[in-house]
Amino acid sequence: MFLFKLEHEYETLNWPSVLDNFALLSGQLNSLGRLLKNDKVPALRNHVFLPLVLSPDRDAELEKLTERRVMMFNHAVVPDYLRTKPEPEVDEKISQLTSKAGTVVQETAQKQFNNLNKITSNLLDIINSAKEEWESESNQKSSQPVTFSSTDTNNLVSTILFGKSIKVARKPDSSNTQPQGMPNPQQQQKVQSATVSKAPSAIKTQIKAASSSHPYQRP
Amino acid sequence: MDSTGPMGQVLSSRVAPLLENFLQGSVLDTSKDVLIHRLRGLCDNAENQPEIFHDHEIVFIMQGNPNQQPMYFHVRHSLIHPESWHVRYLGVAEVGDKNKLTLIRHCVDAGASSNVVDFLNEMGFKIDYEFIAKGYFFHKGRMKVTVSKLYKILQPGSTDQVEPLSQSHLVELSVVAPRVQEQIGEDMKNFAEQLKPLVLLEKIDHKRLQQSLESR
Repeated sequence: MFLFKLEHEYETLNWPSVLDNFALLSGQLNSLGRLLKNDKVPALRNHVFLPLVLSPDRDAELEKLTERRVMMFNHAVVPDYLRTKPEPEVDEKISQLTSKAGTVVQETAQKQFNNLNKITSNLLDIINSAKEEWESESNQKSSQPVTFSSTDTNNLVSTILFGKSIKVARKPDSSNTQPQGMPNPQQQQKVQSATVSKAPSAIKTQIKAASSSHPYQRP
Repeated sequence: MDSTGPMGQVLSSRVAPLLENFLQGSVLDTSKDVLIHRLRGLCDNAENQPEIFHDHEIVFIMQGNPNQQPMYFHVRHSLIHPESWHVRYLGVAEVGDKNKLTLIRHCVDAGASSNVVDFLNEMGFKIDYEFIAKGYFFHKGRMKVTVSKLYKILQPGSTDQVEPLSQSHLVELSVVAPRVQEQIGEDMKNFAEQLKPLVLLEKIDHKRLQQSLESR
């Protein structure tokens, strides 16, 4: 129903009216479904509906029940309302299509699936990015300027506390801190005593020595 | 705590174990000046220029047993006053408590002299990482606010070649006190409200950050 409307009236349609109609339809379908699922209604699928009497007369009661939509229960009405199989033309088309689908080779069908999926995902991406742009634009115009970034906050706190993005290749070494016990303090002391004689720049070279010597590195 | 209680410990060791209540946030570099002006208005000494600091912080780590948590010492020394060195031990801040308005962690502060790096190295500490922090600090009563930019040291040993770590300044609000007091949390929360929406000062979950770092 929706597709039909789209196809035939696309020149005059606009999105809000389409949305309205769609909402209307879906609302009515929902209430219909609810009514049918009601406990008091027996499963209609299990019942068979047979026309017992067909009369070409106007039936006042039928009129009342159906709110003047079905005036009489005659030969023209029955095929339409009691139809369980699709119309002959429709039936033919369906059988044509199914036979055509049966002849398509599996591989080409697979390729066609993949292409279709790719195209739809591309479309989705384009639509999503457009939506994000619009939203951020409207946010910028309406809200206050952004003065902080929580990702930056997290990064800075991680840096101060854990040395994130500062600790370079030292990480593999720190896992080798294990038991090289005695030789290492001696190694460290030798490094330190070599540089401790210089006075003011001792600290800087100290740090340099300590960081470049990797005392716990496996030989 | 031993039988003489915390005061006994303090008196005997001359180092006071304290609790630091703190909140952290950040502000983009572009909005930093606005924040500085607001802080000048809110904090003490509004008529003076804000005090600047330029510190080089080195974090030392000692890994005892492989099963234990390693111990970290933070050594800071000022590049403006090169003779002042400071060692700090920080505990882990627990976030779980919803009642607490701020993060609370143990901290032990001690002044040191310039040979503290030698001392720590000889004790077995290893340098974990280092960085430069440069910025302003303000105080209001017993609350201390720092706005600092962190720099990464490109050449180990040379504090001149630095590279900024992000486009933001780190903002920290902290109060150091000997025990937990509700009033401190209230005061800090009120102060943080004054800085919104420029900066969002909040409890950052350190454990979660650490886990996300380790999971990479």
